Amino acid sequence: MKRISVEHLARVEGSGGISATIDGNVVTDVKFSIYEGPRLVERLTVGKTPEEVVNIVPRICAICSISHKYAALRAMENALSIKVPSKVSLLRELMHLGEMIESHSLHIYYLALPDYAGFPNVIAMASKFELEVKIALEMKEFANHIMKTASGRYIHGENPVIGGFGKFPAREELLWIKSRAIQFMPFVLKTVSLFCELDYPDCPEEDTVYACCHPYQNKYGLAGDEIILSTGEILNKDDYKSLTNEFVVSHSYAKHSRYKEKPFSVGALARVNNLGERLKGEAGKMYKKYFNRRWKRNPLFNNAAQALEILYAFERIPKVVEKMLKLSDPAIVKYNTKEAKGTGIIEAPRGLLVHSYEISDGLVSYTDIITPTAQNAEDIERYCSIAAQKLLDAGEEDKIKDRMDLVVRAYDPCISCSAHMAEVKKAPAEDWKTKLAEIKKKASPIFVGVGKRDRSDDGAGIELALKLKKLGVSDVYLESELVDYKIPWKYKGSRPLIFFDAVNFREAPGKVTFLPLSYIMNNTRLSHKFLPFISMQMKYKHLKNAYMLGIQPESIEEGTKISPPVHQAIIKVLKEIKN
Amino acid sequence: MEKENNDKLKIGIYELTGCAGDALLILDCEKELVDIFNAADIQSFLMAKSDNIDEELDIALVEGSVSTEREKEELLDIRKRAKTVVAIGICSCFGGIQAAFLDQKEWEKNFKKIYGDTKMTHTKPVQSKPIDAYIKVDYYLPGCPIEKEQFLSTFNRILRGNPPELYRFPVCVECKWNENDCLLNKDIPCLGPITRAGCGSICINHNLPCVGCWGLVEEANLTSEFQLLQEKGFDYDFIKKKMANFSGTGIADFLGNLKGDKK
Amino acid sequence: MRVIKLNKENLFPFLEVISEKADLWAPVKKGDKHVFKVVDDFSKVELSTTRTILPPRKIFLPPTFSMFNISEKGYEEDFSHVTKKILFGIHPCDIHGLLTLDNFFKQDYLDPYYLEARKNTLILGLSCWPDEYCFAKSTNTHIIEEGFDLFFTDLKDFFLVWIGSSQGDDLIRLKPEFFDENLTDTDIQTYIRWQTERDKAYKWGINFNALPDLIELKYRDSLWEKLGDACLACGSCTNVCPTCNCYNIMDKQFLGGKDGKMIRYWDACTLEEYSEIAGGENFRKKRADRLKLWYTHKLQAYISKYGKPSCVGCGRCIVTCPVDINVRTVGKALLGEKEDAFWLRFNKEVTK
Repeated sequence: MKRISVEHLARVEGSGGISATIDGNVVTDVKFSIYEGPRLVERLTVGKTPEEVVNIVPRICAICSISHKYAALRAMENALSIKVPSKVSLLRELMHLGEMIESHSLHIYYLALPDYAGFPNVIAMASKFELEVKIALEMKEFANHIMKTASGRYIHGENPVIGGFGKFPAREELLWIKSRAIQFMPFVLKTVSLFCELDYPDCPEEDTVYACCHPYQNKYGLAGDEIILSTGEILNKDDYKSLTNEFVVSHSYAKHSRYKEKPFSVGALARVNNLGERLKGEAGKMYKKYFNRRWKRNPLFNNAAQALEILYAFERIPKVVEKMLKLSDPAIVKYNTKEAKGTGIIEAPRGLLVHSYEISDGLVSYTDIITPTAQNAEDIERYCSIAAQKLLDAGEEDKIKDRMDLVVRAYDPCISCSAHMAEVKKAPAEDWKTKLAEIKKKASPIFVGVGKRDRSDDGAGIELALKLKKLGVSDVYLESELVDYKIPWKYKGSRPLIFFDAVNFREAPGKVTFLPLSYIMNNTRLSHKFLPFISMQMKYKHLKNAYMLGIQPESIEEGTKISPPVHQAIIKVLKEIKN
Repeated sequence: MEKENNDKLKIGIYELTGCAGDALLILDCEKELVDIFNAADIQSFLMAKSDNIDEELDIALVEGSVSTEREKEELLDIRKRAKTVVAIGICSCFGGIQAAFLDQKEWEKNFKKIYGDTKMTHTKPVQSKPIDAYIKVDYYLPGCPIEKEQFLSTFNRILRGNPPELYRFPVCVECKWNENDCLLNKDIPCLGPITRAGCGSICINHNLPCVGCWGLVEEANLTSEFQLLQEKGFDYDFIKKKMANFSGTGIADFLGNLKGDKK
Repeated sequence: MRVIKLNKENLFPFLEVISEKADLWAPVKKGDKHVFKVVDDFSKVELSTTRTILPPRKIFLPPTFSMFNISEKGYEEDFSHVTKKILFGIHPCDIHGLLTLDNFFKQDYLDPYYLEARKNTLILGLSCWPDEYCFAKSTNTHIIEEGFDLFFTDLKDFFLVWIGSSQGDDLIRLKPEFFDENLTDTDIQTYIRWQTERDKAYKWGINFNALPDLIELKYRDSLWEKLGDACLACGSCTNVCPTCNCYNIMDKQFLGGKDGKMIRYWDACTLEEYSEIAGGENFRKKRADRLKLWYTHKLQAYISKYGKPSCVGCGRCIVTCPVDINVRTVGKALLGEKEDAFWLRFNKEVTK
């Protein structure tokens, strides 16, 4: 058994890693870990004034600092019933477009393209893509300039404040931004073609749910007061928790999220998938030209979606500037509210960002911040496990590490959001024993034996369950005892659920493997019997606490005799469970 | 185009817990990035490259605070490998916003409020501290984030074996250079007098008070600033919290000895 | 000195004509204060200002500028801050400030960065009316007899214009039709009345003659400790003072064989680093010692050399120091006069 891990995911912002453990022919474990330490930012805000909190929270992440600022301002202003004048909204949109261009161009050119072009970094890549790299750097610099003009600094600018801005940029500065944006258009169009025409591998490809802000007036946009899902559902921002459902996982300081028990994805790809039809102008033309069904199933297309959004931003900037020039600079809106609560949502470059605050006696008493990477973490693990298993099945184990790296990077995880690393590990011999012991330590498991006793080794699961029953172990069930594959009533997700079955891992007969049940989903060859369980009966979060203890059969010919290696395996498992 | 790596100094750029803003700012040196990679042998820079190696280094630039056991080990290893260690950014220099829980018990209580009782399997959390809590730091380059020109100049000085040359006075000096009207005199709670310069008094240039994000200046007269704000009508606890927002462990002694908290 | 008359409505057209050959610097509004700035829109020029936030010395020696560029070939002096300028709207006290700076930068070692800028700047003074912080009458700097090319006294409907140099006269000759050489008796009477009223408008003063002795007598007074305890060491008093002239230098090196720069920036003896020498030893580690240096210099040492204080009574330190450490409160404390100031109320302990 081995473990493939990208310890220190390079070229992502922040510090984290992804690891896959391989036991023979099965990927038994995939973990997206964030090594960044806990900063307790939400707790740091308690007892501070709303203004101070707006200073502190963008420090969660440098690359999304403007989005954090924007989301915090929207939440505070919602809470404090402040309506900002339209020039304030326009300058905020401008700084946000700047950040979108900066972040996307940094990601696609600096971080992602070297993978596809086969270089370790953008500077080395400059030997082949000299002009592209040069102009991409200029584009990023321009985006930084926009952010600096609007917010005061490249990173952590403090000019945007509750109720408005400390200072508005001069007319000449705005006019310069407008003319420069127009100058970049030919390169931006080339960028979209470059990234939409890249040869994205077809693994992993699988359906998921996409979520993003629902912009106003049926337009494409990066802000709204509702969340729109690819399922067609629309949620009010105040009900964000029904989508995000954050929970703590032991292998990361970033919490994870699921919607209706299922992982979902946010980011540029989610926005383009959900709202792409609304794109107008050149971005609309490019969307029609390049968009296809694979975009909805393959996270690697996030790179293409980001390129498309750069185009959207460049087309939007001149319009925003035009509108701003017609308006005079408003003063900061004052407020008197001391007791309030409110939520603000915004699209950060990497996806939906939620800030929610409660204010009591003029001071912040509760803060909840849900970052895009926390929402993507589950899907990142899922897509990596799909990719790892597929590549392993195809005999391309050597590609697993790089592919996982590619998947993680496509999500452009802003790891410092909370939280760098892919790793492939070979599990040690008899790794199932260690894992089984760990699970037993947490809570006493419920066992279900599965299989057909009339097909020789396929009866191993049943045989094992019967022997356990005989030994007086409690909470052991046979497949036949479950009505309509209903999970035993005692199973509420708090206790681990362990299935026994003969599974063909293409290993030596009698080899035992132990893996999360959800991985069966990522390995179609193994999934036959468990699909009803997984798709119909089991909540996703419970699925994470369900496991498969599989024994490699020698034969599943008709007959009732269990082969000697499988028999020995049953005895070994019995011994471990009894211990 | 690139010089042979043999005669260049070996540099590692590392990120511990923080917003990654200092590493990002280095990437934001669009015009100078090629020069940076040409001037030095960048052995490790996770945000910028994937062929990273962790060997003997001439200079390590470390961003972020130490917030897990793993980071502590990584830092100790960096110190062992590097001839010169430079702390970059406020989190590395002083602990940053996450070092605001100065009391161990208070930190534990707040940790529990967020992560509950889940036992972290990947690495043990520790209360956030600046890197000099664990290792000897040769030079400090503060900022939140670091300032571009100051970084480039300092980076080049260090490459040539010279110590950094930084402004050692408070934001007020730069603020006056920028000919701003003093906000304290308008009864706005500005932390300029106790905050180190280098940002170019950016907030006050925008008519906004200094929030203190670069940390305390060496000679910060905290008592005077505190009383001045009190005279202007600000509440004792408000001032205390405000001063602690970005100062990290730098303000621990002052706040710990405040007479106002002692009966 | 020749004095001529200019009608009010001809001022801005005159400024427009003379600014064709040089940058015109004049006071403009910044928030509710004023600053000297290059103007092209003359409607923005403020005629009834008191003091600008920074004194006019910033026009000659900017707070930071490059002294020379360094490359592998050697170094090249950088005089890019020296351009043809006309400084309009400078008040008598600030002209006195420039004359004081001239003394500093001309003694022993000539400072080319200052002197070149000075040579290339024409001084067009403007009369002013004191506010509650001005005390130029005490320093005798409310009137000016030298140090300008032209001086405009604002007498409501017209200006009396003193021609102080041949270069000033050349400016007049660009548009002689704007000026009237013949002054009437009424004009002169108006001027005398204005001057008497203006002098009366100074509401308070300090006896500067007594201060040199008092500084020596009170050199070990606890007053200095008290000042030092409250001082924020922010350097603002020094930065806003029209006669402060200390500077520090810093080299800014650039990567990849590109040129570096030697930066010169305004320093302040009130800052901790000022008196630090190699090895970390500091002669004036204590803020009290630094303040004592500043005030000794302004109120005693300069007087013993030049017979006048190096304070010109502009009031900038009064309006700027957040903890009320300024020539007024320190001067009055030395004189034993009662004053109210934050530093006098300051307590060493923070209480609730």
